[in-house]
Amino acid sequence: MRTHFDVFGLKRAYDVDVPALEKQYRELSLQLHPDRVAQASARERLQALEGTTALNEAFKTLKDPVRRAFYLLKLHGIDLDREDAGAQKDMPLAFLEEVMDLRESLDTAMAKKDLGRARAMADDVEARKKAALAEAAESLRTLEADAPGAGGQELVRKASHALGRVRYFTRFLEQVDAFEEEIQA
Amino acid sequence: MSKNGYLQIHDPLKPKGQAVGIDLGTTNSLVAAVVKDQPACVPVDEGDALLLPSVVHYAKDGGVVVGARARKLASEHPTDTIASVKRFMGRSPDDAETRKLGHYKFAPGAKVVRFDVAGGTPVTPIEVSGEVLRALKRRAEAHFSTKVEQAVITVPAYFDDAQRQATKDAGRLAGLEVLRLLNEPTAAALAYGLDKGSQGTFAVYDLGGGTFDISILKLVDGVFEVKSTGGDSALGGDDFDRAIAQRVLETLGASEAPAPALVAEVLAASRKAKEALTDASSVEFTAGGQTHSVKREDFDAWVQPYVQKTGTVCRRAMKDAGVTAGEMDGVILVGGATRVPAVRRYVAELFGREPLGDINPDQVVALGAAVLANLLTTADRQDDVLLLDVIPLSLGLETMGGIVEKLIQRNSTIPTTAGQVFTTFKDGQTGLDIHVLQGERELVEDNRSLARFTLSGIPPLAAGMARVEVRFQVDADGILSVSAQEQSTGVSQSITVKPSHGLTDEEIEQMLLDSIDYAEDDIQARQVREQRVDAERVLAEADRQLGEHGSLLQEEERAVIDSAIARVRELMKGEDHLKLKEAVHALDEASRPFIERVMNQAITQVVAGHSVEDY
Repeated sequence: MRTHFDVFGLKRAYDVDVPALEKQYRELSLQLHPDRVAQASARERLQALEGTTALNEAFKTLKDPVRRAFYLLKLHGIDLDREDAGAQKDMPLAFLEEVMDLRESLDTAMAKKDLGRARAMADDVEARKKAALAEAAESLRTLEADAPGAGGQELVRKASHALGRVRYFTRFLEQVDAFEEEIQA
Repeated sequence: MSKNGYLQIHDPLKPKGQAVGIDLGTTNSLVAAVVKDQPACVPVDEGDALLLPSVVHYAKDGGVVVGARARKLASEHPTDTIASVKRFMGRSPDDAETRKLGHYKFAPGAKVVRFDVAGGTPVTPIEVSGEVLRALKRRAEAHFSTKVEQAVITVPAYFDDAQRQATKDAGRLAGLEVLRLLNEPTAAALAYGLDKGSQGTFAVYDLGGGTFDISILKLVDGVFEVKSTGGDSALGGDDFDRAIAQRVLETLGASEAPAPALVAEVLAASRKAKEALTDASSVEFTAGGQTHSVKREDFDAWVQPYVQKTGTVCRRAMKDAGVTAGEMDGVILVGGATRVPAVRRYVAELFGREPLGDINPDQVVALGAAVLANLLTTADRQDDVLLLDVIPLSLGLETMGGIVEKLIQRNSTIPTTAGQVFTTFKDGQTGLDIHVLQGERELVEDNRSLARFTLSGIPPLAAGMARVEVRFQVDADGILSVSAQEQSTGVSQSITVKPSHGLTDEEIEQMLLDSIDYAEDDIQARQVREQRVDAERVLAEADRQLGEHGSLLQEEERAVIDSAIARVRELMKGEDHLKLKEAVHALDEASRPFIERVMNQAITQVVAGHSVEDY
């Protein structure tokens, strides 16, 4: 299977040189984009559309450290974006408690229209998200760099739990943003 | 003129005539084309005007008039003269935008907005826009003396799928191959970027007649990458007019259900007042038989809520793009409403810098569209220029509990695709309802519903066993198609989303057939129709003056005018538009001494009762 890394001719890895990726993205777009073959045959235009769609998808995924991490995990067989993903039900109990606590505090802040409180929580959650992503990155780096053998499953599990938290924190932050916009409107 | 045409016809790279860029605006529309490497606007209305008012008049005899002439007919025929039709594109009759202050009659009971106009069946916004596009096409063809069949048409960046689809359909109705729907701010950036060879991050602030857009773009090595876009497709200079009009109607004691003719008159006067306030600190005007005066500071206060609404949108766009106001290399102003001083002040404050406006804000979008039309139709290009645009609103599907699951996030670069696997939730379930939505909100009812369809033929399995993958593909026009496939059996279905509030393919086909009939109906017939409408206006005016001031005429003078009127009436029944035009002209000439006398009398009456010393 052609991976997003293959699209850019990159070796699979957690760390990506984003400025270099951006430059390459522009160059490849200039070659592949449907606009370059607007008057060509339907087949060529369809190819251009497919090629550019794949390029856009690959660029979007690789330029962003969070998306990149989720993607690598998916390559290891765990797709956290899937509605029926077993991994979602498989989170540790401590995480569920954390979620309940945050949920309750945010609901209270929102009920009181307390934007200051919500923002303070968001700052805290932002920090937790960063830490969780760093944890996932650590596991993914090891997974990609060495051939971890039997330890591999444990690393995948660790990355999956960390990214499960990242995913939750991201949604939490989106909710605070929406709340902020609602208050300002 | 013929020289241009000659070159175009024999240029093997342009087998389809001259490709053009069209700015299909709420208030005015323009056509531009690249000729000798320079984009330029084409005259499209009376007196070689570059702006064609986006106004369409439907006459009793089925004739259609577009542009400045149609606008003149608006106060006399308010319900038959459609202005600002762009506001209604892709909208349903009960959208808030549809119900704003206006003077139209809507045909009842339809899912699609239909204007009840003179001359037969009600018309949809797509058809009205089609008329504007057809007029632009025809007039550009006359200018270039060659066919015009391919066009890039601009749309507000914030247009949703339904509005884009409607615009594309309008292009088809007008006999145009729509090379691309181009976002207006991106078009403006293209016009600026190529002109100045700029690099860096730019904000394009586009406040038109009926829509507001903000786009943040990065220009690097000829690639125009849109980082984020935002807007409000129901906010624009027209709202400023309505803000004035509302107060005028209150003063006139007519704010409850005012007559359409009065609304049309007051809106027109309000628009002029707004324009005057760009330079003047106060303005006086008459409307509804009274004189009104508006001070700039009052006007500024009335429009402030709208202006501030644009600020919220701009901040979100910057956040989405991951840039701050300070990191911007320039701010470009687009759209007639950015001439309003309160708007300029606000933009300067918001971005902490004076905005650029050196390309005419009315023309810049059309010029950018012409540049892209040229890029897309010229095979042998030297310049490496490319646009990478984004989708303005997230696309998603309804899931359990009326919640939207987003498949494609707003500001994703297009073309793009996304998929999601769903499972059945009941044992033996053989069908799956798929409801496609666009918007940012969590609940289904807060988003725009684009389409619903059912994937049937799923094998009856235990709950959760059948797996259906739904895929979204968004093309370079920002238009969505959806396909669904059951993974174990390969049962698949695919549709191009037909917006719930749009027209069906059959309806479009029928309209296309109708419009082909219409096209065969030659230009001569159209000119007769247009001339008839003109004649009707002149006759109505003559009748009015004769009724009020007929006593000023000698019998033989009266006879001359009456015979001129009779001749016009006679020729209106015929098909010779040149003779009719002559007759209208003759009537004008015959009535001139009379009209002068009427004017003199009016002045005398005003002067009477004053002694000379008063002056």
